[in-house]
Amino acid sequence: MSPPVLQAKGLSKQYGRRQVLSDCTLSIPPGRVVGLVGPNGAGKTTLLHIAVGLLRPTGGSIEVLGGHPASGAAQLAKVGFVAQDAPTYAGLSIADHLRFGAHTNPGWDQQLADDRITSLGLDRSQKAGKLSGGQRAQLALTLAIAKRPELLILDEPVASLDPLARREFLQGLMVFIAEHDAGVILSSHLVSDLERVCDYLIVLVASRVRVAGEVEDLLASHHRLTGARHELADLPTGVEVIEDSHTDRQATLVVRSTTPIDNPSFSVEQLSLEDLVLAYMSQTATDPRPALETTP
Amino acid sequence: MIWFTWRQFRTQTWITIGALAALGAILVITGRSIADAYATANVAACPGDCATAIDTFLNQVTTSTSGTVYDLANAITYAVPALLGIFWGAPLFARELETGTYRLAWNQSVTHTRWLAAKLAVVGGAAAATAGLLSWAVTSWAHQIDQATGDRITPGLFAARGIVPIGYAVFAFVLGVTAGMLIRRTVPAMAATLAMYSAAVISMQEWIRAHLVAVSHAINPLDTSSLDTLNIGAGNQLTVVASAHLRGAWVLSNQTITTTGQLFTGPANPQYCGPDAAPQACTDWVGSLGLRQDLTYHPANHFWPLQWTEAGIFIAIAVLLAGFCFWWTRRRLT
Repeated sequence: MSPPVLQAKGLSKQYGRRQVLSDCTLSIPPGRVVGLVGPNGAGKTTLLHIAVGLLRPTGGSIEVLGGHPASGAAQLAKVGFVAQDAPTYAGLSIADHLRFGAHTNPGWDQQLADDRITSLGLDRSQKAGKLSGGQRAQLALTLAIAKRPELLILDEPVASLDPLARREFLQGLMVFIAEHDAGVILSSHLVSDLERVCDYLIVLVASRVRVAGEVEDLLASHHRLTGARHELADLPTGVEVIEDSHTDRQATLVVRSTTPIDNPSFSVEQLSLEDLVLAYMSQTATDPRPALETTP
Repeated sequence: MIWFTWRQFRTQTWITIGALAALGAILVITGRSIADAYATANVAACPGDCATAIDTFLNQVTTSTSGTVYDLANAITYAVPALLGIFWGAPLFARELETGTYRLAWNQSVTHTRWLAAKLAVVGGAAAATAGLLSWAVTSWAHQIDQATGDRITPGLFAARGIVPIGYAVFAFVLGVTAGMLIRRTVPAMAATLAMYSAAVISMQEWIRAHLVAVSHAINPLDTSSLDTLNIGAGNQLTVVASAHLRGAWVLSNQTITTTGQLFTGPANPQYCGPDAAPQACTDWVGSLGLRQDLTYHPANHFWPLQWTEAGIFIAIAVLLAGFCFWWTRRRLT
């Protein structure tokens, strides 16, 4: 079995006294489309920038495709990156950007780049500064794809796009995933962007990884329990409460449990991926596992 | 990477080439009238009355367009290294960091070190070439004027001749790159570059340059036939300065000393230097005192040693700054 696409151990990043990434430990298996989700400012960009070598961690270690990020030309060639807001050179044309890619990447696939630009209906002589947000994102994606990376990393690729451009971008991405055997990591603050394309999910909240795993496993192991409050106060061991909302008598819990919960005194419901992520996001940073209050 | 550096830098290159060509045209046109004036005044063939020939020549030059071009060319040669630092050096990194395009550039299959090396070599080389070409053009254009005035070494001219402008340009460029890297914003980096560059160049001119090569000393009998200054101040204090008579030299100090080696300050003898005395009497009296002229100076032949040393110092600082940039790119920026 090939090594993990990304392996982080106790990874952290600090700016002065501000901790933007704390003790992040991850091991992402190969061949996955990974969604990195979390609220704005959670540390998603920091994590991705560390993975591509734009930032150095202040603690811990990280390996991407078995190498240190940006440690050499070969490592850089293996990882494609589309940064947030898809930066491009405003004064340079699309053709210039493609020549830039061709000159700086030994594995450059000119055919792929040409085909994409043609199918997008873009004018090669157009300056990147004159493109719409969606077109610019597509250009940046083209550059990242045409270098034929083993791992493609995208930081909030669709955050600033309108719904149509968003769909087109994600479609382009899915075509790439289907045609090439590359891993993908993409971040978003919206689960809805990710759930159609991702089969692996990482939830990052307030600089910490809350949960990471295959989407299928996550859905199977998380449940919403509704019932009388005193019934829910006493849960079997191995059941971890993620979120707790209650009135005086009634309580609704989101729990994680590896074993099936079988108790007729409350109802057990499946969670959608969005609800699952929201449950993790609503946890406070200081208190990751809120204890249940005992009923008076 | 070299192609891309050139592509990003293309507009500036054409602007620079255009500006140099325009200046070149002006120099070629006015250069002819200087050569004509030089020939007409017969400066080249003068062992006879050189002073008159030179005066005629310089008079004709300074009253024509060439005089204006001379001042302009000197000013441009002083300004260009600073402009290169501000407009080529400072934005090189700062603009990439400011607009976020470094996130695109640094994820192609080119290491950050190679990226920096290509930028520094291509744009820095262009900066050196620009300053070199400019200095060569101005130095050779002004050659006859410089010979006639006997001056290319004094502050105000020295750094607009020879190889010093190249040293300045390389230094200003790398200084700009460093400032851009540390400040990460284009306009503040430009301002910082201008401030630091000016400080360095002014310090060099005012306090450092004179000591780069060992100065020459001379003590001569005071020649009262060519006094520059004869000034009687309060309390009969007398200031006497004779002309240095050092063609092509940069005179650092010119003092009149007594037979015992003290600075001569008078007092003036009222019999010869009083209000009723004849004008020549005071001068004659000063001549009878056995005073000497004490000179500290760089003679004309110190020009090239000073040029090499000063250019070398600025290039060495530029190399150190470039080394810092590499270290910073590897350690801190990433």
